[in-house]
Amino acid sequence: MKELEKNPQSTISSSQVFFIHVCCGLALAAGFWVAHHVYSLNLVFDPTKTLCLIWAIEFPVVILLFSCCRQKPEKCSYFTAIARGLLGLPVGALLNALGALALGAPVGLQYLEKTVNWSLLMSSFTFVPTACVYGSSWTDWHRIFACTKPNGPLEFMLCLPAHGAVIGAWFGAWPMPLDWERPWQDWPICVSYGAIAGYVVGMVGSFGLALIMHAGRKQLKAE
Amino acid sequence: MAPLTCTKLSLITIAGVVTQIIGLSFFVFGFFPVKPALPGTSGSESFYVPACDFFSNQSDTTLPSDQLKSLYQELSGIPPSFDRLILMIVDGLPAEFVLGKDGKPPNKQFKEAMSYTQSLLASGSAIGHHAKAAPPTVTMPRLKAMVSGAIGGFLDVAFNFNTQAMTDDNLLGQFFKIGWKMVMLGDETWLKLFPGLFKRHDGVSSFYVKDTVQVDQNVSRHLGDELSKDDWDLLILHYLGLDHVGHIGGRNSVLMAPKMKEMDEVVKLIHSSINQSQGNGQGRTLLMIVSDHGMTENGNHGGSTYEETDTLALFIGLRNHVFDYVSVINQIDIAPTLALLFGVPIPKNNVGVLIREAFDSLKEDKHLRALELNSWQLLRLLQAQLSGLPCRNFSCDAFYDHQSSGSTDCDHETEDMLCCLYMEATTLYTSWKSKRGFESASNKDYSSAAAAYYKFLKSASEWLSRRSTDKPVKLLALGLATMFISTVILSSLMFCRLREIYHGGKQQSLNLNDSMNGWSLDETFILCVILILVSSMTSSSMVEEEHYIWYFLISTFYLLLLRKTAQSLCAVRFQSSFFTQNGQSREGYFRMCFVFLLLTSGRVLGGWHQGGVNWTSLPDISKWLEQAGSQHVKSLQLISAFLVISIGLFALFSIESKGKCFQMVRLSFLISGLLVLLHITKYQDYTFSSTNYGATLLVQIIYAILGVATIGTVVALPWVIPFSTSKICPTDNTISPLFLSIHEKFPLVELRDSLYVIGWAYVLCWCLLQLLLQQPINTTPILLLLLQILAGTLYFARSGTHHKEWVEIAAFYYLGMAGHFALGNSNTLATIDVAGAFIGISSHSTLLSGILMFIITYASPMFILLSLVMYISMKNMAHLVIPEKAGPGDHLMMMLGFPCLLPLVINSILLTAYTVVLLLMQNHLFVWSVFSPKYLYVCATAVCTYIGVFIVAATGFYAYFVLVMRKQKPYSC
Repeated sequence: MKELEKNPQSTISSSQVFFIHVCCGLALAAGFWVAHHVYSLNLVFDPTKTLCLIWAIEFPVVILLFSCCRQKPEKCSYFTAIARGLLGLPVGALLNALGALALGAPVGLQYLEKTVNWSLLMSSFTFVPTACVYGSSWTDWHRIFACTKPNGPLEFMLCLPAHGAVIGAWFGAWPMPLDWERPWQDWPICVSYGAIAGYVVGMVGSFGLALIMHAGRKQLKAE
Repeated sequence: MAPLTCTKLSLITIAGVVTQIIGLSFFVFGFFPVKPALPGTSGSESFYVPACDFFSNQSDTTLPSDQLKSLYQELSGIPPSFDRLILMIVDGLPAEFVLGKDGKPPNKQFKEAMSYTQSLLASGSAIGHHAKAAPPTVTMPRLKAMVSGAIGGFLDVAFNFNTQAMTDDNLLGQFFKIGWKMVMLGDETWLKLFPGLFKRHDGVSSFYVKDTVQVDQNVSRHLGDELSKDDWDLLILHYLGLDHVGHIGGRNSVLMAPKMKEMDEVVKLIHSSINQSQGNGQGRTLLMIVSDHGMTENGNHGGSTYEETDTLALFIGLRNHVFDYVSVINQIDIAPTLALLFGVPIPKNNVGVLIREAFDSLKEDKHLRALELNSWQLLRLLQAQLSGLPCRNFSCDAFYDHQSSGSTDCDHETEDMLCCLYMEATTLYTSWKSKRGFESASNKDYSSAAAAYYKFLKSASEWLSRRSTDKPVKLLALGLATMFISTVILSSLMFCRLREIYHGGKQQSLNLNDSMNGWSLDETFILCVILILVSSMTSSSMVEEEHYIWYFLISTFYLLLLRKTAQSLCAVRFQSSFFTQNGQSREGYFRMCFVFLLLTSGRVLGGWHQGGVNWTSLPDISKWLEQAGSQHVKSLQLISAFLVISIGLFALFSIESKGKCFQMVRLSFLISGLLVLLHITKYQDYTFSSTNYGATLLVQIIYAILGVATIGTVVALPWVIPFSTSKICPTDNTISPLFLSIHEKFPLVELRDSLYVIGWAYVLCWCLLQLLLQQPINTTPILLLLLQILAGTLYFARSGTHHKEWVEIAAFYYLGMAGHFALGNSNTLATIDVAGAFIGISSHSTLLSGILMFIITYASPMFILLSLVMYISMKNMAHLVIPEKAGPGDHLMMMLGFPCLLPLVINSILLTAYTVVLLLMQNHLFVWSVFSPKYLYVCATAVCTYIGVFIVAATGFYAYFVLVMRKQKPYSC
């Protein structure tokens, strides 16, 4: 509770959590919809452009929404938070791309565009929200990502979808070496599907936890 | 539960390993029966009674082919009924499509599609059979069975993947010997099996399964041309299209009927041409239509269901004779039938029986003679399998006395029964022969003799084929159970040790990190890896692409290490505002660097060879380098070799001690390093022509120096290492007072110092060997592996108590397996580097080459196990020692317990799991091509683990006991 009193902004109601998650999810769906109906693109047939469209729609929504929840709003204006998010996007993309390459993502010029777009999408799932909220506060990053000890619904909102996306992408890579001869086995299609699925699961989990924590706090107050 | 003592632990471990070896050998001997196959080829001796043949094989191999042909005809006593043979193979055609099933006619659609063939069948000019094929129902083994009459064992198939040419005695070889000219059109498998035998050929690849039209057109386009020629004696037509139709659409594909119609057209064309040429007096031609295997409803094949094993054998051109039944034969029966019809000796390892319908049109004496020849051939095979076959002698001279024994006692033991049946048949035959001249020679005598012969042949064939395919279930179960027990023994030992260390000593662990007691992410992951591996083994494509699993899992583990390091790094940062501990923070950055080194070198290793089966054509670093040119490969090889050698020598020279022994070690490794560099620069281009005397001599000198230096170091070092306060081992920066108090009693520091030097000696020796033996392209992976091992060891040595020891050793084991695939190995036998196995061997020796091949193939897992000696010396284990109770064995157990036990446990779990998988998959389509080679690799890995662990344990024990002895008697040496 001490932590919460220090950072009054980190109390966030479950309806806010719900709103933010629904908006993020809708942005994702909108990305797919636009790709499919406006440009008639498909993740399987043209992963580069589709991923580009999806992250281009997803990341402004994420930055705009999560910048509202920035820590220490008295010191940090809304625009600073947005700038942090914009800066976080390439940095996170670089980290995600390096991680993917270390795990065996193919290296080569023909994969470069795909990897870049995929890692930008991953960055807007994982890195950008926290960059908006916490900036470069090392202790907070460390608590949320290195130790995985988030407290409060806000940190769960940052932590769970990000971890969900990474773990989903990890599992999504498993069908890649199999000889099923399906077009979606190529890098980064199934990995993107896995990441998106993990992200959605993470959002649902975070919302569920927010509800539970909210109920717990109410009970605490009532007592 | 009483705590484990060192003796108890080692005894139980040894017992577990011995049990495992016994179980494994039970299983292997049960699963891969080694049947004695007769070497060589049948010659004229096959026309004489076995065991009386004093005719050597040599005499007739030198004969020219036409003389041999007439010799065979004279000896066999059966004039060939045909001059030419057309063998038409329709790949994957189930006999059901042509002959129907269970007396019912085939599907109406199919019957109409093959109307011409059906009309031939109805008129009696074609005789059809259901031929039962033995699994694996895959083209190549089936073709081999058809031409040799033998049923291949498991290992035959596994080991024949590299050398595809058929060397066993077979029909085509026999035909070639008597000077037949052969033409082959169709599946290029024939060309792989019989290179150089065909006068003309047009091979098509069976690789493009989607193509159902072109494959067959490529065969048929030559047909008119070939049929008009008369310069061939055997024409093989192998049509693949029907199999491809099955693979695409299954049995009921819409393409099936048109394809069968196409085949029918071919039959019609050939048959009319045969009739024409017969009229012209060009000789009699037999057309035989066979299929190699059937197909399931989905069009797959490889297994042993009725749908897959039901194949067709159709004779066209035998004398018209309508049979009102369709007999069931074995596919292997085709070989002796064709051999006898065309007057060549039956292939030596044939298990088949001649097909009765094919000989019914012959005269009585010819038919019985054919039966006799077939019986002699099978009897020879029986004699090879049963060395004590009682009728061995009778067949020559004594059986005339035995005539009185009659036909009453032919129902006991197998050997006696077979012998008895044989003698019965010969007796009847001789009596028929003696009566033949007289009027009394009746039809009855003939038929009873023939029936007796068939009875003998059928039972002998059945017995022989059962012997080569049946698996002794009891032996397999026993082997599996023994392996399971040993796994349980080893893992329970492991858990006992874990509990003693991490729970028994809780009062000591107060000062330790919290992560020691919790169940952390990396431990869970290490356990998950085993689960993932075991479950992935059940999928054939995962077995084929196993390297991806290893790379993926090991890099995930490195990322987890990175996360863990970041955790501690931040914690240190957080603390540093209160206490200024710069040293710890720097440690954290060092560890971070090591993890980055692990990650990058692991990634490069993973991209070095594009292994596996399906994606081998994708670009990788080795292909890229080879394309860039051999001088690049060479320079990279030189740089890597130089780096490897200098890293090793740097480590040896950075030891501060100046003793004579150390100088000797340094000098010998320096010399051998220089010699290896010399070999690389001077000779490595010529190693493939192994005749170069200088290169061989140089390599032998290197072997000798390396062997002497390493063994000398191991044996002598514990005797000469000085008892002093100066440390050799570099990373032991936290000697607790507790540790010092133990040190007064036991020579722990000396032990670690000597193990450090011995470990480096092992690592350097192994690296130099690999630099010598591996292909030039693999030199850089060796360097990267060395870097990985060093980075891993240093990381774990510096991380102190952050990871449990078993996690680190398991990680090393996984690293070794990932490196195994990074060196270009895979789960197919084709990737074994055979060329390297002859480096430095002056005369041919299977054993030495085998050892070298093992060293090359298992470079990486063995490397890891050997480097564990170094790891032990660098790991700070002071916190694990329980000082009050510590006896002499406890320290040893602390140091050697996990490094020896854990590789054995992981290996036995994987081995047992894979054995179960192999048993479950024994009827799988890919059991021959994927699962059985993988099992051979798993067995070899087990052997590698045993050897490596033995070396680690023996080194540790030896050094420890020598040092304890010296400590107790300080003035004796």
